[in-house]
Amino acid sequence: MIVRLCLLVAFLGCRLPVVGTEEDSGPFSTPFPSPLNADALLSPNCSQLTLKLDFSTKVVKHEYIVVFNGYFTAKARSDFISSALRDVDAVNWRIVRRDNPASDYPSDFEVVEIRQDTRSSLLTLQDHPYIKRVTPQRMVLRSLKLTDRNTLHCFDTRWVQKWQSWQSSRPLRRTSLSLGSGFWHATGRHSSRRLLRAIPRHVAQILQADVLWQMGHTGSGVKVAVFDTGLSEKHPHFKNVKERTNWTNEKTLDDGLGHGTFVAGVIASMRECQGFAPDSELHIFRVFTNNQVSYTSWFLDAFNYAILKKIDVLNLSIGGPDFMDHPFVDKVWELTANKVIMVSAIGNDGPLYGTLNNPADQMDVIGVGGIDFEDNIARFSSRGMTTWELPGGYGRVKPDIVTYGSGVRGSGLKEGCRSLSGTSVASPVVAGAVTLLASTVLNRELVNPASMKQALIASARRLPGVNMFEQGHGKLDLLRAYQILNSYKPQASLSPSYIDLTECPYMWPYCSQPIYYGGMPAIVNVTILNGMGVTGRIVDKPIWQPYLPQNGDYVDVAVSYSPVLWPWAGYLAVSVSVAKKAASWEGIAQGHVMVTVASPAENDVSNTGEMTSTVKLPVKVKIVPTPPRSKRILWDQYHNLRYPPGYFPRDNLRMKNDPLDWNGDHIHTNFRDMYQHLRSMGYFVEVLGAPITCFDASQYGTLLMVDSEEEYFPEEITKLKRDIDNGLSLIIFSDWYNTSVMRKVKFYDENTRQWWMPDTGGANVPALNDLIAVWGMAFSDGLYEGDFTMADHDMYYASGCSIARFPEDGIVIAQTLKDQGLEVLKQETAVVENVPVLGLYQTPSDGGGRIALYGDSNCIDDSHRQKDCFWLLDALLQYTSYSMTPPSLTHSKNRVVPPTGTDRPLPQRLEGNHLYRYSKVLEAHLGDPKPRPLPACPHLSWAKPQPLNETAPSNLWKHQKLLSVDMDKVVLPNVRLYRPQVRPLSPGESGAWDIPGGIMPGRYNQEVGQTIPMFAFLGAMVVLSFFVVQLTKAKSKPKRRKPRVKRPLYLQQQQQQTPHSGKNPTV
Amino acid sequence: MVFRRLLRKRWVLGVVFGLSLIYFLSSTLKQEERTIRDRTLLEVRDSDHHIQWKIKFILGNSSRQISQCRNSIQGKSLLTDELGYVCERKDLLVNGCCNVNAPSSSQHVCTSCLANGCCSIYEYCVSCCLQPDKQPLLEHFLNRAAEGFQNLFTAVEDHFELCLAKCRTSSQSVQHENTYRNPQAKYCYGESPPELLPI
Repeated sequence: MIVRLCLLVAFLGCRLPVVGTEEDSGPFSTPFPSPLNADALLSPNCSQLTLKLDFSTKVVKHEYIVVFNGYFTAKARSDFISSALRDVDAVNWRIVRRDNPASDYPSDFEVVEIRQDTRSSLLTLQDHPYIKRVTPQRMVLRSLKLTDRNTLHCFDTRWVQKWQSWQSSRPLRRTSLSLGSGFWHATGRHSSRRLLRAIPRHVAQILQADVLWQMGHTGSGVKVAVFDTGLSEKHPHFKNVKERTNWTNEKTLDDGLGHGTFVAGVIASMRECQGFAPDSELHIFRVFTNNQVSYTSWFLDAFNYAILKKIDVLNLSIGGPDFMDHPFVDKVWELTANKVIMVSAIGNDGPLYGTLNNPADQMDVIGVGGIDFEDNIARFSSRGMTTWELPGGYGRVKPDIVTYGSGVRGSGLKEGCRSLSGTSVASPVVAGAVTLLASTVLNRELVNPASMKQALIASARRLPGVNMFEQGHGKLDLLRAYQILNSYKPQASLSPSYIDLTECPYMWPYCSQPIYYGGMPAIVNVTILNGMGVTGRIVDKPIWQPYLPQNGDYVDVAVSYSPVLWPWAGYLAVSVSVAKKAASWEGIAQGHVMVTVASPAENDVSNTGEMTSTVKLPVKVKIVPTPPRSKRILWDQYHNLRYPPGYFPRDNLRMKNDPLDWNGDHIHTNFRDMYQHLRSMGYFVEVLGAPITCFDASQYGTLLMVDSEEEYFPEEITKLKRDIDNGLSLIIFSDWYNTSVMRKVKFYDENTRQWWMPDTGGANVPALNDLIAVWGMAFSDGLYEGDFTMADHDMYYASGCSIARFPEDGIVIAQTLKDQGLEVLKQETAVVENVPVLGLYQTPSDGGGRIALYGDSNCIDDSHRQKDCFWLLDALLQYTSYSMTPPSLTHSKNRVVPPTGTDRPLPQRLEGNHLYRYSKVLEAHLGDPKPRPLPACPHLSWAKPQPLNETAPSNLWKHQKLLSVDMDKVVLPNVRLYRPQVRPLSPGESGAWDIPGGIMPGRYNQEVGQTIPMFAFLGAMVVLSFFVVQLTKAKSKPKRRKPRVKRPLYLQQQQQQTPHSGKNPTV
Repeated sequence: MVFRRLLRKRWVLGVVFGLSLIYFLSSTLKQEERTIRDRTLLEVRDSDHHIQWKIKFILGNSSRQISQCRNSIQGKSLLTDELGYVCERKDLLVNGCCNVNAPSSSQHVCTSCLANGCCSIYEYCVSCCLQPDKQPLLEHFLNRAAEGFQNLFTAVEDHFELCLAKCRTSSQSVQHENTYRNPQAKYCYGESPPELLPI
């Protein structure tokens, strides 16, 4: 519904600290040297400094580094260690505190000091399921020396390095995706410790584009479109700007921001900071104003022009959360269907999950994430599954690949180079690589959006310790992609190419929870890429072939797929479930799904021909016996609505720069930390993507409903009542709902030119009240905020509601909070005492379940969370699953008499809200919207197994490379394999990365471009001045003295000029 | 010495100067030309300035033989070739033309198109637009092409390209930027935008 509004981009002229500018500075040592400013190190007389790095390590006694399988909060980590060490008697241990800014964030390691009985405690620690390994702590001493050295190379063309960068707030709408280099976080995910400093270097050279340049491929003949903020006309870096067009309402073609120039430079700059494909044909489309505004309609017209111009590669370093902007999404499909390879940035909203941006999240687009030069996923890089498929399905893997996006150097606005960070930097790196690759292929017919994507993902290098929803298929490898593309035969392939639900951490979250009989099926949403043609279909049905020797018959598989694979791609959703006979079995089961894809053969002589390609999808799962009911939690996804399509406002009203609730509200997106925590506590969490009527309540201990915006079918309300009478428990984390505040947070959207009125509050409290009214419970329309302490835990209540009604035999906890509603509406501050925030209730029926209500969901939501309350969730689960009433809550001094709610009316639905437009439950009706008829529960048709008596290959990943490509056969000439990706900083080099240095012999000097008219002008001026001098001389001469026989001119001059000056003209 | 003397001749220097001047002016003008090209795409044309449209209308009958066809490339199942035939992908010949004899092929069909010139299927819109009697309508449209379309329609070379471009959804197809005016009939060869439906 929304689109792109401008966003604030602050230019931060942050110059990095300068270290060691003096030529003869003696050796000095700093533990962490700041990145050096290369400009400053180039001393005037060209003597240069060399940096020497030394380091030594020694083991620190009694201290051990405990590495976990994932990222956990400090509390969870300490819980794990204490639970692991519980069994070892009287061990004297403690966690070594690390007081640094990172300690507020989840980490994957802890330093533990163990003084007694070390060996046995280490062994027990290592046995804990969440502990990956335990290693001794080492102390590293690094020293840094600078030595003076005269070098042969002295570069006169001293460039001015501009450490300009920009920082963006979270994009509200479609925005350009770049940010400040301040996001240069080392996440500590690299596998081994290396004494390397990330220095901005030539990204084209790091990716070994020079190898392809030397072979004569420079992108010539490939048309690249840059959709961005434009490009100034006479930029010295570009030699082949074919056309510039403007699609905005600003009457200029020039770039006022530097974003478009930078992006174009990374693709095609020919000097200084070299781009990938300097000879490619650049088509500059200005679709973004200097105020960072753009409209869908501008894009539609500009894309039409790109199709008409038969663009080959299109870079879009722009994205937004609105994947339901149908005109835009359809147009992107149309574009790729016309063979335009679209490369787009995945977004800068990390490290939160569920933050993928459109159009990079589309199957036909190459979505690019960012890493830094140390191969860590850049903190800003958006991640998480796509959320189009929720609630019924499961998200696809995105980004597709990652590449350098942090501190990359590219063209500056007018001249020179600058360094910039963001996925909008990573995207042109891939677009440039794609352009270069396309120019290497002899048969251009073979290059299409699918084959290019297949080559990129099949050649990508996987980063260790990073899951697929962060890195996709791994890091771009240009040369391997070249090899694959040049031996490519049209075929279909899958992304991901195999399903190994046991592989951690790559296959997170699948690997974090085994499957069992009776559980909701694990769904893997595989993308089929079809390099054979823009349209294709799946022949017959995919076949499930379990491997009998590997217990494949213990698994049931259901497959659903796109009826038509268009454009170039389609989905293949594989649901894996456990057969009844394995209800109490534990082990690994394997098999594969076989899919045959057919496409009309366009280049075939026989006109009825079809090309087919068969791909195997290996499946490997871990099965455990069905856990007891009390351990099983069901997460209600069906009743979570989000932006897009409608305006569902944020849950924390303080976060003004992020007005929308858009991360999907799934346990693997913005409730990821909560999920990890529940798993670490031993709970099994499943997702309900269907109405409440569609699950067997006797299987589950607790139904968890968090921040629900959807309405409820009357059948759901009766079913839930019956289930709870029969022992199911319910936990609801509600959120605010106040019609006055909702009216207040409406805004006029410049982009859609209409008023935006929220359709619910943070949660849909009136609907929730309908659901829980049967137990005499209700939430209020109050809006509260504040810090408080509950059971010795610091808590923050961020825009939550209170409990208005509760049964009198229930437990209710109240707190003193600020009335945020008053603050929003009238800017007044008022403190309200005894606001009931938490309620616990045991239903009276025999064996009946328990209900827990809490008024705010922000403390378990990853977006904008300030203080987590996972402890509270644990306590509530203890109560609901095991009927253990937490004493810290029941004996709290904050316990109050349950409110009866008679003093205030319950919240009513906002008059004239449009929830029915987005709701799966309501439909428009004369007068008030009415519930639709209850839909049928989703039914999976299990594939009929065709058992095979064979064994799976041991390495599923290596086995599943592109079929026709034998990597060993394609050899590169002159490949200097294994160039270090990041080198220790040596100032001697620092000036060098700006000089093309014979990469493209001749070209650099040939194409002097705009300097030629300058020379011509100067030459003309010299000649002109000579004439003028001659003429004046001739005039001043008396006629009579003009000799018949010409004397040498220089003598005349000498005679004439001697009186005036002592110098002879030397013309 | 002879060379030096020659150099001092006034006419020699004149020639050198002239050549330099010509070179200088020509290279400067080349730059200017490029700038002008950029500008024309940018600036709003005067209302009385009529654009010379380089459209060649193929008016011949359907039996005209051509060796290679361009077609609409993108279709999920249907394609339109430049002669206006719509066919299924499987009935496409190697030369890019529709197989005229295939049962699914038909020329200049306006299936799914409404009276206002908007169709629900892109391929039929292109085929309908290629009808020879649509030429006056298209010419009329081109002569008063909306501002936002100038970039696009100055680059169009012929009738087929015009129809391909005209039938695509564009800025005229949307309301509130992110919703189609009429999701059912959004591909228009005619002048008027799709009929506005309430959200």
